[in-house]
Amino acid sequence: MSEMPFPDTPRVDAYDKVCGKPIFAADDARSGLLHAAFAVSTVAKGHITSLDTTAALTVRGVRLVLTHENIGEVKPRGFIMGGGYGFQSFQPMLSPAIAYRGQPIALVAADTLEAAMEAASRIEATYEQQPFSVTLDAEGTETINQADTPLKNFIPEIVVGDAEQAFATASVKIDEVYNCPVQHQNPIELIATVAAWDGDRLRIHEGTQNAEAIRHGVATALGLAPEKIEVISSFAGGGFGQKNSLQTQTVLVAIAARRTGQPVKLVVPRTGVFHDASFRPATRHRVRLGADKAGKIVAGVHEIDAQTSRHDLFPGEYAATSSRLYGFASFRGVERLVRTDVQTPGYMRAPFEHPACYAMESAIDELAYALGQDPVELRLANDTSVDSPTGLPLSSRHVAACLRRGAERFGWAQRSMAPQSMHGEDGSQIGWGVALGAYPGIMVPAIAHLKVADDGNVTISVGGHEMGQGIRTALANAVSRKLDVPLEKVSVVIGDTRVAPQHLTAGSWGTASAIPAAEDACDAMLKALADLSRTGVRGSPAEILKAAGRQSLEVEVQRKAPGQPDAIFERLRAGLPSIGGPVYGSYVTFSYIAHFVEVRVEPGTRRIRVPRVVSVADCGRVISPRTAASQVRGGVVWGIGAALREASEVDARYGGFLNADLAEYVLPVNADIGSIDVEFIDEPDKTFNSAGAKGLGEVAMTGAAAAIANAVFHATGRRVRNLPIRIEHLL
Amino acid sequence: MQPFTYTRAETTADAVHAVVAGGPGTRFLAGGTTLYDLMKLNVERPSKVVDVTALDGLDEIDTGGAELVFGALARMSDVAAHPLIVAEYPALSESLWRAASQQLRNMATLGGNLLQRTRCAYFRGGEPFACNKRKPGSGCAAQEGINRGHALLGGSDACIAVYPGDFAIALVALDAQIEVLGPNGERTLRVEDLHREPGQTPEIETTLGHGELILRIRVPKSPLGRASTYHKIRDRESYAFALASAAVALDMEGDTVRAARVAIGGLATRPWRARMAEQSLIGKTLTPQIAREAGDLALQGAKPGRDNEFRIELGARTVADALMIARQRA
Ligand SMILES: Cc1cc2nc3c(=O)[nH]c(=O)nc-3n(C[C@H](O)[C@H](O)[C@H](O)COP(=O)(O)OP(=O)(O)OC[C@H]3O[C@@H](n4cnc5c(N)ncnc54)[C@H](O)[C@@H]3O)c2cc1C
Ligand code: SF4
Repeated sequence: MSEMPFPDTPRVDAYDKVCGKPIFAADDARSGLLHAAFAVSTVAKGHITSLDTTAALTVRGVRLVLTHENIGEVKPRGFIMGGGYGFQSFQPMLSPAIAYRGQPIALVAADTLEAAMEAASRIEATYEQQPFSVTLDAEGTETINQADTPLKNFIPEIVVGDAEQAFATASVKIDEVYNCPVQHQNPIELIATVAAWDGDRLRIHEGTQNAEAIRHGVATALGLAPEKIEVISSFAGGGFGQKNSLQTQTVLVAIAARRTGQPVKLVVPRTGVFHDASFRPATRHRVRLGADKAGKIVAGVHEIDAQTSRHDLFPGEYAATSSRLYGFASFRGVERLVRTDVQTPGYMRAPFEHPACYAMESAIDELAYALGQDPVELRLANDTSVDSPTGLPLSSRHVAACLRRGAERFGWAQRSMAPQSMHGEDGSQIGWGVALGAYPGIMVPAIAHLKVADDGNVTISVGGHEMGQGIRTALANAVSRKLDVPLEKVSVVIGDTRVAPQHLTAGSWGTASAIPAAEDACDAMLKALADLSRTGVRGSPAEILKAAGRQSLEVEVQRKAPGQPDAIFERLRAGLPSIGGPVYGSYVTFSYIAHFVEVRVEPGTRRIRVPRVVSVADCGRVISPRTAASQVRGGVVWGIGAALREASEVDARYGGFLNADLAEYVLPVNADIGSIDVEFIDEPDKTFNSAGAKGLGEVAMTGAAAAIANAVFHATGRRVRNLPIRIEHLL
Repeated sequence: MQPFTYTRAETTADAVHAVVAGGPGTRFLAGGTTLYDLMKLNVERPSKVVDVTALDGLDEIDTGGAELVFGALARMSDVAAHPLIVAEYPALSESLWRAASQQLRNMATLGGNLLQRTRCAYFRGGEPFACNKRKPGSGCAAQEGINRGHALLGGSDACIAVYPGDFAIALVALDAQIEVLGPNGERTLRVEDLHREPGQTPEIETTLGHGELILRIRVPKSPLGRASTYHKIRDRESYAFALASAAVALDMEGDTVRAARVAIGGLATRPWRARMAEQSLIGKTLTPQIAREAGDLALQGAKPGRDNEFRIELGARTVADALMIARQRA
């Protein structure tokens, strides 16, 4: 891959999106389409004792009411972290079991959406209820030490030296507990499936980050050969980890379509997205830090209690990032999982790294104050070039440059150290905070198929999903430049199981995996074209084809992460996660970011505002400047949401989530966002890959919440250790 | 969604007649931003809706006479942006543009706005939550539940749901009245008398009879309009309901308060006029200290629940800040 950044072009799909072209699954309006709606459980745990669908069936236009009583045989499709395909192992509606409030208990398919909704509301269920627990602290939860489970085989425990001992004898100590609440992703595109059968073939349209998991998961559940199923996900209207595997509705919609003989569409309403899709689990972090008097950190202990469901162990990988922020002389990570009666939580943007960095970087700020040292200086003094958990070198780490550039751009030198020492003209308290973030460098295998035609058209088909991050544009740019063909001539086919295996797109690996594969395909194509033009005809691919009398030429290439075995392509084809990194045998790769934040706290009503942020990222080479800067701004906005706004409310008497809509789940809005100034170190990491690109989408968010919380402390002298920080904490 | 019939009324008399004739399950429909929302949640289940948006002459904004006259069908966005309202009655304009979102304000009417229903999650959430307002006699899940946003004033053991609207707070502060047409003809009432406290019947929210149609809102012109503000504190800077709000208007003579109006929102089960706070200001030099004392008086009698005690302090500070903002405009 060339080192030149791509030109600053608009997204190739911008026009269609702005014009509202029906490109999303929920837009589907084909003739004969039936509309589906769920009836959901109003109790949090137990089982259905009776389900009366008579009234529902009398609603005009109803074609089918599907329940556990008439669904027929459906096989388990497993949990994505347990060798399966689902965001959770539990598939609702296969038995009378109720695992959480809001779980579907029946699906209605009808001629209109209104009829389906009305019929769903007329389904009468009675339940035998069981006691349940929905919060970390509730009675009746079960706490499991992750190291005592099979998860330890692929999530190594972090142990460096004897951290407890080093902490005990350290001269300066921090020992605090930080809490992060449940959060929900809320992509604007709701979860939506359209399923249509053609004989024994099934085609599914669904906005997803993982078309292959849907294909294989549905195949497993319905006992079909995967070849009979096509999954098409040209666009996802935001995913953020919520759409990263098979959801609960897809199999049910497919069954409804088969039963009725008509295509069926289900759009899960916003409340359903809160209750029947994954979310960021609540976590509690106890962080202990020990340092010598000079500020050298001698011990770190990070203990995490993370919420999971009764039916699955959603793993914890928090310490895997917190232990990498500094050159810890000793470190111990303890990951505990707490079973509660909820749907299985999952991978919401920077799933482990955001909470881990919030907790660790808050504790580091507390350490700076305990030592009386400038928070930037303390961080610089504990920088490292060695990966402390493994002792391996880091392929690249420009943390010091991020801190120095950020401090300069922000004007950090003007900061006075004491809390409550800076004020605005209106009497508001001003606080300046800093924090680091980190995210593992991950790659996945990809297969790319490239076709050039004598009319000049070029089609690149590769594994990858467009969810707004701009991967389609980046691919079009890469192919256009490599083959030297106009951008308009390049079609990008992604998110489509018909053309190439579609590995999960998440974890910031999408671009780093798809682009090199596409570029390899271009290289193979250029070679094939050169072979074709033995006569020495020079020119565009189309001209070479014409001269050779060929209509088209196709090549296919495959590419994997460093150190992955060839068998990885089998996993890729089977729709299983095939993730490489961040430890690559002889080195370790992470992306980093430093955030500098100003907050202003109003004197009277104590509203907290974030007028400016400076973020400097080390993501290796910047491939696409426009989308890269917007990824960072988006990540900072997420940090503002996590620090000051978002929490899913849980009423322990009922289970489920209370503020389950976009009016009451307070995401940040435009008026909440001030200036976000983004800079990149832009140093290629050639050890990691030939392009020198590390991931960016997730590291952007990490540390931002801590920088805000640290700024709030600096402004007010109050250390709020529970997110989100709200007016009531500062009154 | 329960099937319902839809008719569009041609005249105000027809509209009233259609709702009366349709029986208790019949509702007026204006912008639909409250009604359709609750219908989709299955909380409102009308059998018939009577669309009033085609009625003539009810979307007027008349600022020419001794009163400001707003037709019940005037859109929130139009009134909020009206130049005279912006300049002379900032509390009215602010209470509208600080509400909801631009898209909603473009749809929503002033009449519908007054009658918007509470945002209590147990009310909107339907089954399984106990809610006396939605299902009389079922109990009130909010009393022992998550009540960070619930009312501190005017509640009962049957219901502590907040009246969520902003515009009505400003109207109550400015002594506004509404004209209504019912089966027995027209009548006029104070906006302050429109909403009821829940008592033991939280399902009855207003003093309007079935079939009574709001025609117009009348706000007496007053020298207090200009030195007014609607100050709204919420969990984000836009697109959120008030944790605490205050509509205040002042008539100043130099630094001394000649007359004051104070109403608070987001804190009570209905728009809440704070007359003791007003009285305390008259004849005083308006200092932050005096403003704060008025704030405390406005919150007098507040009864906190499990999660909302901070809003007593917040409410008092909101009133105090609002007074100082209005003071600047005198
Ligand atoms: C997401 C969201 C956020 C919001 N945020 C805010 C906010 O921050 N602040 C705020 O103040 N409001 C807010 N609102 C509420 C919004 O202002 C109201 O929904 C709107 O003003 C209602 O007006 P409408 O014309 O759409 O009423 P409709 O929905 O049409 O009607 C509402 C009710 O009034 C009755 N009705 C309508 N017109 C008349 C009439 N002329 N006479 C008698 N009865 C009538 C209807 O029968 C119905 O019961 C929000 C709403 C939403 C959905
Ligand atoms: S506060 Fe009122 S609206 Fe809310 S649950 Fe109680 S009775 Fe229902």
